Amino acid sequence: MTHSDPKPEALSRRALLKGAGGVAAVGGLAATAEARSVTTLEPAPVPTLRGEVEVTLSINGATQTLKVEPRTTLLDALRTRLEPALTGTKLVCDSGSCGACTVLLDGKLAYACMNLAIDQVGRQVTTVEGLGTPEAQSDVQRAFCAEDAAMCGFCTPGFIVACHAALERKPNGTLDELKHEISGNLCRCGTYPHIFNALQRVQAERQVASQQGSKKGAK
Amino acid sequence: MPREHRTADPSWGPRADLDILNRDIPRVDGPDKVTGRAKYSHDMRAPGLLYARLIVYPRTRGKVESIDVSGALAVPGVVWAKALKAAGANVFYQGADSVLAAVAAETLEALDDGVRAVKFVVKADSKAVVTHKGALANDAPVVARQRDAQSNISGLRERGDTAKTEAALAASDVQVDLSFEIPVQHHVCLETHGQVIVPDERGATVYASSQAVKGEPQGFAGALGLKQSEVRVITQHMGGGFGSKFGGGIEAQVAGQIVQETKRPVHLLLTRDQEFSLAGNRTGVVARVRAGASKDGALTALAAEVDRLGGLGGGSFAALPYIYKVGEMATKMRSVHTATDPNRAMRAPGHPQASFVMESVVDALAYAAGKDPLEFRKLNLPDPIWQRQLDRVATELGWPAHPHHTAPGKPDARGIARGIGFAVSAWGSSAQDNAKCQVVVFPDGSVESRTATQDLGTGARTYVAAIVAEELGLQVADVEPVIGDSDLPVNVASGGSVTTGSSAPAIKHAAHLAREALEAKLEAVLGAAVGGYVWKGGHVHVKDDTTKKLAWKQVAGLLQEPLDVTGSFQQSLHAGSIHGAQGALVEVDTLTGRVNVLKMVCVQDQGLPLNRMALRSQINGGMVQALSYALMECRVHDEATGYLLTGNLESYLIAGCQEIGELVAIIDDDEERPTLCGMAEAPIVPGQSAIANAIFNACGARLTTMPFSPDNVLTALHGKV
Repeated sequence: MTHSDPKPEALSRRALLKGAGGVAAVGGLAATAEARSVTTLEPAPVPTLRGEVEVTLSINGATQTLKVEPRTTLLDALRTRLEPALTGTKLVCDSGSCGACTVLLDGKLAYACMNLAIDQVGRQVTTVEGLGTPEAQSDVQRAFCAEDAAMCGFCTPGFIVACHAALERKPNGTLDELKHEISGNLCRCGTYPHIFNALQRVQAERQVASQQGSKKGAK
Repeated sequence: MPREHRTADPSWGPRADLDILNRDIPRVDGPDKVTGRAKYSHDMRAPGLLYARLIVYPRTRGKVESIDVSGALAVPGVVWAKALKAAGANVFYQGADSVLAAVAAETLEALDDGVRAVKFVVKADSKAVVTHKGALANDAPVVARQRDAQSNISGLRERGDTAKTEAALAASDVQVDLSFEIPVQHHVCLETHGQVIVPDERGATVYASSQAVKGEPQGFAGALGLKQSEVRVITQHMGGGFGSKFGGGIEAQVAGQIVQETKRPVHLLLTRDQEFSLAGNRTGVVARVRAGASKDGALTALAAEVDRLGGLGGGSFAALPYIYKVGEMATKMRSVHTATDPNRAMRAPGHPQASFVMESVVDALAYAAGKDPLEFRKLNLPDPIWQRQLDRVATELGWPAHPHHTAPGKPDARGIARGIGFAVSAWGSSAQDNAKCQVVVFPDGSVESRTATQDLGTGARTYVAAIVAEELGLQVADVEPVIGDSDLPVNVASGGSVTTGSSAPAIKHAAHLAREALEAKLEAVLGAAVGGYVWKGGHVHVKDDTTKKLAWKQVAGLLQEPLDVTGSFQQSLHAGSIHGAQGALVEVDTLTGRVNVLKMVCVQDQGLPLNRMALRSQINGGMVQALSYALMECRVHDEATGYLLTGNLESYLIAGCQEIGELVAIIDDDEERPTLCGMAEAPIVPGQSAIANAIFNACGARLTTMPFSPDNVLTALHGKV
C-alpha cells in the first residue's frame, strides 16, 4: 500500500468530513462575529488530513484499487477517482439532505456524500450501476420505466437504490410505510406518484412470483 | 419522367386511427436513466480534466479591498487561480458581479484547498437591503441599479380608471380587502448550472446543462475566443432547468477563460449554495387587493397594488384580473428592488403569483356573498371550457357531497378540519416557426429523427421518435431520436411551453415528407400513387388492397442511398391557448397549524396528447411543485448581514415523499382540436391557490402569506400572537 503520509492536524468535525464545502460561509460568518463590515476567507484554519492513499474497495462486486485522500467522500471517489468514473450516483446537496447519492453499504442504505471512501475497505459498496444495466434491468428499474417514474432523471439513481432497500425492509409494506422508507430522497420534477406506483408494481410482481414459487415447491 | 404527385398536407389524423401517439409510450431514455448510464454534464470526464469553482461574495454589497490567490497557486494540484475583481471594485449580489475569484485544480480535494487558500477582504455595506420593508425604509440606501435610480422603486405602471373602480367598489354589495406576501422561490434544479468544456481539433465541445442547445455556441464562442462554427454544444440529459438554463452565465465565461489559459478540459458547475444565490429565482410579491361583487355573484370591481420583488431585476407578475372577468379594475404595479440576485424565468413566470392573488380574492368574495365558490367561479370565467373542467375536478374531489359549500367548516374533536378548494389556469402555448427536423431512412431500414431540441425531463426525446414511427407504421424503437446537439437542424429554446408546439409539427412534416418520398418509389412496385398507401405494423399496403404489400425492410431496400428529408414547422399542426382546472382536498390541524394535502386533481387540455404517460407526469409534476411552493418553500436572507440562510436543501425545503397525497392527473379528452401545443407551464399555475382556498373552506383561515407553514396557518387562524 503506498502512502504519502497524511498528516493529521488538529481534528474537528469538518476535518472528518471533507473540510471545505462551506468554507466561504464559515469564513464569512466568523468575520461577521468580529467586525460587521469585513468579510474574508482568511480565518479558516480548517485542519485536514491530506495526501493520497491507495485503497482497495469492493464496488458492485468487483475489486477496485484507487487512490483517495482520507477526506475523500465515497461520492467523490466514485465520481472522480475511479477509471472509468461511476457517475450514476449523483451529487446534488453534498450534505446528506437529498438522497441523490444513495448507495448500499453492506446492503444498508447510505448517503455516499456523508461517508468517506477509506471507511469502505472491507465493505460491499453497491451503486445504481450494480443493480442492473439497460440490457438487464432489475425489477425496480423496469417498474420505474413502466410507470414513468423518471423525468429529468437526476434523482432517479438514488431513488432506485432507496426503493430496492425499501422493498427489502418492507416487502409487504403499506404505501405509507414505503413512503417513509424512501423519504430520504428528493425529486424536483415531481415524479413521486409514479415512484409510488413503481414500488407497488414491484411488490405485486414479487408476491405473484413468490406464490408461483411456493406452488412449484409444493409440487 | 415520373408522374407529378399530388401530395397532401400533413395532418395528425383522427385520434382513433393512431397506433402510437395519444397512448402511453415508455420513455426511450428510461433504461439509461434508471441504471445510471445516462450521462449529464456533471458526469462528463476527459483526460486532463480540471475541476473549477467560483468564489462568490456571500453578502449583498461591498467594495473589494484585496483578493490574493497566491496561497491557492501554492497548493499542490491547483493549476489555475485568478482574482476576477480588482481592488476598489464594487461587488453586488448579482451573477458575475458577485464573483470574486475562481480556482481550477486536478482533483476536488486540491480544489477545496485552493478555494480555502484564496484570501479576500471586502468591505461590506452596512445595510443589507434584502426585504421589501428594508428596500422601502426611509433610510434605505439606493441599491437599484437602473441608471439614475433615485430610490429602490422602478417601473411603476398604472392601468384602469381609479375613480370608476373606487365608485364600483363602493357600490358593490360585498367587498374584500386582502394583503399578500409571497416569498421568492427557487428553481432547485437538481443538476446545478454549468458545463464541461473539452478543447478539441475543431475548437471545443461543450457539455452544457442547457434548455437551449442550439443557441449555446454563440455564448460559448465568446467565452472561448472561438468562432461559433468551432463550438459544438451537447445536452444529452439535463437535471432540470425550469426556466433557469438559457445560455451560460458567469459559470460559462469563467470556464471559457480557464480553458483558454490552460488549454485543458474544464469542469465548472455551480456548488449548491451558489445555485441558490446566482442561478435565478421566481419573483416574490407583496400586494394588496380590494375587490367587490354583486349579491348575485358577479365580480364588479378590483383595485390592486402589486410590488414585484425581483431583487435587482424587475420581477414578473401576470396581469390581473388573472383569467377572470371584472367590471371595473385599476391596478398599480411596480418593482421594489432589494440587493439580491435578479429573478429569472421560472415555469410560468409571474403566473402562480397572479393566480394565488386572484383566486384568493375570487374565493373570498364568493364566501362573502354567501355563494358556492365553485359556482361563483363558473359565473365569472370567460370560457365554458373552465366550467366543464371545474365540474370534473369537483366531482373527482367529492365536492357535491361535501358538507359545507358556502361557509367554512369546523374542526372535529381532534382539532382537524377538512376542506376543498379550486383554481383555474391558462397558458398561451405559442410556437416558433423556425423549428426544423431531419428524417433519414437508411437502405437497411434504420431511421433517424434528428433535431436540435433538448429533453429537460419532459419526454421530448421520445416523441422525436414516436411521431416518425406513427407516420411510417413502425415501432418507437425502430426510430433513433438524435437530439441535444447544436450541430443538428435548428430547434427552439425550451421555455414558455413552446417546445412541443414548435418541434412536433416540424417532426411530423419531416416524417410526412419521408413517407411521400417512399410512396413515390413504391408506385413502380405496388402501383398506387403517392397518398394511396396505408402504413401500419411494420408494413405498407395499397389502400383497399392488403395483398399489395411490402414489409418495411423491403421498402427501405428500394433506396439506393439514404433518404434524407428536412421538415419545417407547419402552422396547421399547432394551436395554442390552453386551459386547466385544479382542486385540492386538505386536512388542517387547527391545533398545530399543519396542513396535509390529501388529494389534488388537475384537468388539463392541450390538443392532441402525444404521449399520455409523459403528459400525466408533467401534470403531476406541476401539482407537486405547486404543493411544494404552497407548503414549504421560502427563501430567507439575514436582514442584518445579507447572508442567504436558505442555501441548501436542509434549510430551503421542497416537498418530499411524505408530503404527497393522492394526485389525479386528468387529460381533458373532451377537448378535441386536431392540433397540439406544449403545456408544461399551465399545471404549475393554480395548485397553491387551490390549496389556500381548501384551507379556508376547511377552517376559515384565509392564507395570504406563503408558504402555508404551521406558523402562517396559526397566524391566519388566531392572528399574530
